[in-house]
Amino acid sequence: MEKTETRVIVFTCNWNAYSSLEAAGVEGLSYPAGVYAVKVMCLGRLHPGLILKAFEQGADSVLLLGCPPGECHYGFGNRHAEEVFAEARALAHLLGIAEERLRLDWLDVGDGHAFVEKVTAFIEQLCSFQPSTLPPSH
Amino acid sequence: MPDPIKQTITRHRAYYCLECGKCTATCPVARQDSGFSPRRIVEEVVAGRAHAVLESPLAWACLTCRRCSEICPSDVHYSEFTRELRILAREIGHQGACTHGDTIHTWMRMMADPALKQNRLDWLMGDLQVSPTSDTVYWVGCLPYYDVLFRRQGFQGVDIARAAVRVLNALDIVPAVLADERCCGHDLLWQGDVNTFRHLAELNLELLRSTGARRIVTSCPECAYTLKVDYPAFVGNTGMEVLHIAELLSASDLLSAIRHLLSATRHPPSATHHSPSATYQDPCRLGRYMHVYDAPRQLLRALGIEIVEMAHAGKTSTCCGTSGWTNCGATSKAIQVERLREARATGAEMLVTACAKCQIHFLCAMDDPRLGAEIEMPVRDLITLVANALE
Repeated sequence: MEKTETRVIVFTCNWNAYSSLEAAGVEGLSYPAGVYAVKVMCLGRLHPGLILKAFEQGADSVLLLGCPPGECHYGFGNRHAEEVFAEARALAHLLGIAEERLRLDWLDVGDGHAFVEKVTAFIEQLCSFQPSTLPPSH
Repeated sequence: MPDPIKQTITRHRAYYCLECGKCTATCPVARQDSGFSPRRIVEEVVAGRAHAVLESPLAWACLTCRRCSEICPSDVHYSEFTRELRILAREIGHQGACTHGDTIHTWMRMMADPALKQNRLDWLMGDLQVSPTSDTVYWVGCLPYYDVLFRRQGFQGVDIARAAVRVLNALDIVPAVLADERCCGHDLLWQGDVNTFRHLAELNLELLRSTGARRIVTSCPECAYTLKVDYPAFVGNTGMEVLHIAELLSASDLLSAIRHLLSATRHPPSATHHSPSATYQDPCRLGRYMHVYDAPRQLLRALGIEIVEMAHAGKTSTCCGTSGWTNCGATSKAIQVERLREARATGAEMLVTACAKCQIHFLCAMDDPRLGAEIEMPVRDLITLVANALE
């Protein structure tokens, strides 16, 4: 699989991760074209169904980017996101989706370079193995 | 071209409705929600106003529990009538309110992908014995998936699967379990997604026929009914005998083998020993759909458990409140709370069910800080009880 063909859904929280994505745009940084960011107010808003749905709709991989531990805008959101992530990962495993295709990570506020580094590194490690068990038609 | 609404009315005998209203009087949903009336829905559709029903949230309110069919003097097949209306409603873009963030229906749809390679047998470990050439397939269903999603409620899905294999092994049955088994499609079909249901059924039929087995044993009543009745009706026959595990184990030879094994265990049931008591929740698909009422009770009695029936049991049993992972809300909760109060009123030590979904719904309803101890009660799975007794 060509790197440019990899479609990644990146769920970003509104506060840290999305501000980093915006900073990347303001600074004119480029990142892989297959990155599709979906902004949610907080990663705690996610549930396993939304993550599975990203795979169902054709994502090769899913990255959750939120706030660092202890810095959630809402206090409990990133702890909840960890629980949701664990459930989603266990369900993805049952469905034969390799664990490398789903990751939870965090960003500091407004760090465009870190956003680009994280999404690029995520896509690169995906290209190092045969990722998709889903057919191209998905 | 034939009118699909008219076909639905004819096929499911809605023209025979006398408008007596017994359905609505016995309906557990109507009891909690005065806006829902099976009688009125039949009347609307027969009177040519089907579109009002198809576009209404009421099309998704029925639990398809069949309690109305038990009492209907005209034998209107209301559950199947509802199912077909849902198929038509979905064709014009409507669907029920999803529960659990649509997680469950999403994995079910993902399983319709022919290229899917699951890791669904991680639970199969230790001394559990299985054989790919067995004449008996143990159909696991979505248990490993529910295990992940409902752990927080205290549901232990894979323990039910392990228990089923342990019990079969104890009776010298070494079943086949299938790595590529997919969701049977029950919930999608009953929510009107007949296309995905067909895809799943075709893949499962191909897999089942390739095993060369002669019978399928399930621990889920919904899987059993779907494989046995809906596969032949919609896609094709498995060509195999389909049994819920309670049906299999209540056959006289196996039941006496269980009694024999129990007499050899450390804690044989005896008259002098305190015998635990239980009340039993009849799952809709096992009871009213497949008429299996006695088998689970025979098994409980064989374990030395005294059965104390709820006010509504057997044919009049009340549904656990939600079906097909759709439309769970205040009505579902009210049904569950009322059912749990009924169960507690028996004075039994535990509530036993033979369906994982009943157990999940009751565990969820009991997780209620306001009602708390008023409705709390241990909920146990039938096959897990049998397996533990045989240890």
